[in-house]
Amino acid sequence: MLLFRSEETVGEWCSARGLAKRPLVSLDQVWVMAREWYGNRLTVDSRRPGPDEMVEIFARIGLTGPFWDPKSGR
Amino acid sequence: MTGMPAIRGRAWSPCLTSVKLAIYDTFATTSHAPTVSGIARQLNAAIEDVQSAFDELHKQRLLVPEPGDPTRIRMAPPFSGVETPFRVTVRDKLYYAPCAWDSLGIPAALHADGVIQTTDGHTGEPIMLVVRNGAPVPEPCVIHIAVPAAHWWDDIIYT
Repeated sequence: MLLFRSEETVGEWCSARGLAKRPLVSLDQVWVMAREWYGNRLTVDSRRPGPDEMVEIFARIGLTGPFWDPKSGR
Repeated sequence: MTGMPAIRGRAWSPCLTSVKLAIYDTFATTSHAPTVSGIARQLNAAIEDVQSAFDELHKQRLLVPEPGDPTRIRMAPPFSGVETPFRVTVRDKLYYAPCAWDSLGIPAALHADGVIQTTDGHTGEPIMLVVRNGAPVPEPCVIHIAVPAAHWWDDIIYT
């Protein structure tokens, strides 16, 4: 999961490696993901979100579809 | 951990919770990854019990062992046990994160402001992100996740 200055440099990175360009995530979206995953990571009750929770978190910030579903194709 | 029950396959025994907290506390306070022997000394626990806890935490996707050495930690997300291109400074302490997402996860986990120094994944241009007052300061950038969610843990070190 890499950071890029722009969508243009993402495209160049993908082209150079023959990889498909995937959905892009904004700084605000990834901040929500960071807080949801890690906000309580240092506490007794911390755990990683389960598959359904992951789908709900992603949907809340507009990330939907099979790419964001950890059960997709499983 | 003297007097605490061994794990024996149960998901969240007191032993497992103690080891999890000790791992994350070590990362947070020292910025370095602990080892099985270090956690065993810290908790006054048997090496085999702590190793079992490490193995279980790996199954629960809370840590990734160093390839070929299950006694060491490559990452306990959002913290990395090795240097990476994602340098995160929080309260004057330097941490490394495994990826862009986790680089923001470190200030989120520590509930503190922070500065992330990294580079554009293609051009190498330096990029600095600042988390201030509980949120990132706007900065032109995007995050690209090359692997679908269903396959993130097929090879999490690559992902």
